[in-house]
Amino acid sequence: MAQLIEFPVKAATRAGHALAEPLRAAWPTHSVDDYGRDPYLISALAPFTKLRWSVTVGGTHHLPAKTGALLVCNSRRYSLSAVYAALALSEETERPVRFVGRPDIAPIGPFMRRIGGLLAKPSDVLSALSHNELVLVAAEGTSHPRNAGKVPHELIGPAVVAGVQVFPVATMSSTIGRAARVEVGPAVRARRKRRGPLAEVELADQVQHHLQRMLDGFGGVQTGVAPIDWLAEG
Amino acid sequence: MGGELGSLVAAKLEAEPWVGALVGIDVDPPRRRLRKAEFHLLQPSQRERIVDVVTKFNPHVVINLSVWEPDARAGLAHARQFTADAATAIIGAAAECPALEGMVVRSGIEVYGRERNSDTRPTESTHMHPTSEYGLMLANVERKAREVGKRVGIAVGKLRLAPVLGKHVPSPLGRLLRQPVVPFSLFADSPFAVIEDGDAARAFVLAAASRLDEPLNIVAPGAITTLQAIMRGRRVPLPMIGPEWYVASKLSHVLGAPIPDHVVELMHRGRLADGAKALEVLGFSPALSTPEVIDHLYAWESVVRIGSIQAAVA
Repeated sequence: MAQLIEFPVKAATRAGHALAEPLRAAWPTHSVDDYGRDPYLISALAPFTKLRWSVTVGGTHHLPAKTGALLVCNSRRYSLSAVYAALALSEETERPVRFVGRPDIAPIGPFMRRIGGLLAKPSDVLSALSHNELVLVAAEGTSHPRNAGKVPHELIGPAVVAGVQVFPVATMSSTIGRAARVEVGPAVRARRKRRGPLAEVELADQVQHHLQRMLDGFGGVQTGVAPIDWLAEG
Repeated sequence: MGGELGSLVAAKLEAEPWVGALVGIDVDPPRRRLRKAEFHLLQPSQRERIVDVVTKFNPHVVINLSVWEPDARAGLAHARQFTADAATAIIGAAAECPALEGMVVRSGIEVYGRERNSDTRPTESTHMHPTSEYGLMLANVERKAREVGKRVGIAVGKLRLAPVLGKHVPSPLGRLLRQPVVPFSLFADSPFAVIEDGDAARAFVLAAASRLDEPLNIVAPGAITTLQAIMRGRRVPLPMIGPEWYVASKLSHVLGAPIPDHVVELMHRGRLADGAKALEVLGFSPALSTPEVIDHLYAWESVVRIGSIQAAVA
């Protein structure tokens, strides 16, 4: 007669309980949303992000309370402006703000997905906008903190298709200091009605123009120590 | 009609006022008591018999659920063969029925694939690019159904199901998650969505009633990662980094829970889909969310020892 070899299920289950219970107490077992964003992880990381950036947020009254919107921010190279702006705006508006531009390679891609990252693909942006989400797109990176780079019209297209408003978001941060600023401007309206792809191309140009005006209004960084101000200017 | 999903669909169809007669074909007998339905025990390879049964019945609607998920009821090679044979026989036979108005076929969100930079939540309009064996099998079923639909001018609905979990549904994902020790990807613990078998069956009935003529994603709301599912089930999480996945999958196979490539893909790259269109088109809204389906998975009774039942009865 053959004998049945059984895995020590009870012992493994007990071990599982012993291992899982502390983890279950420390971490919720359901904290990701439909796009993989994990608000619990974001709140757990908040003390660390605040060590790097102390963000002042303004102009959030312009943003819709429930419907979707596309936000476009300027970006100084390597400043992660889309990330800190999205996190700060999420905290301020109490709505998830998803940033566009996560890489799709482990381990950075899955991590950025957990903190609200979307792929820089029009279809990903359109999917989120059509589900009434707030999506933040970064303009092309520049070397100067007060220059707005070119706004990618391919990522503005989904806003036109979904029929949602587009808001410029001016960001400013220092390479060495913690101080950062995020200012949301009023919605940009297209000057002309277009039926074709010119709608997003012209809207992207307008958003860049609005962003530049907002950044000009920011003025330079004034710490009182000239060399630091020069450094902050990039 | 013999599988769990097939039996559920048949039971639900019997309760529908618009359904007159019902005929089912499968390799296993039905798992539920069916009052109206006529059942034929046939192998997918018995094409002539299948064609004979289907054409004699001359249905208005055909629902093709005969998809074998690799390592669910059969290994990859058999699953591929059975699915292809069944699709050829049933879809081909349906095309010969003059009364046929519509056909609904089972597919899955695996057809979108999870290659690098693929959409986070693909919609029905997303291009199909399967990256797993199961995805390829489903894409072939869809292609066959679409071609036949065009040729004979009938409505063809394709329901792309998220991984189906349910009380008696053979599923490699469900089986793996219920193991005492479950591997997960430490650096790429990506979210996925599932669907409960009862919800999937309801979607098929609605699609058949409305003569659906387009693809629809059938996905429970919400998402969960593998680690979170393991924690919900109070299993031992086994973190994996990369190369040891091969060893883990072989070991898991030996222990009775093979991990096919589409499940590995799900655990590494996630598997989400946008199911909003099903609500618009069919008015279909899943009763259970993804975390609830996972909870049901762990709430099933484990092995029930006959001895203990006899002792309890005595």
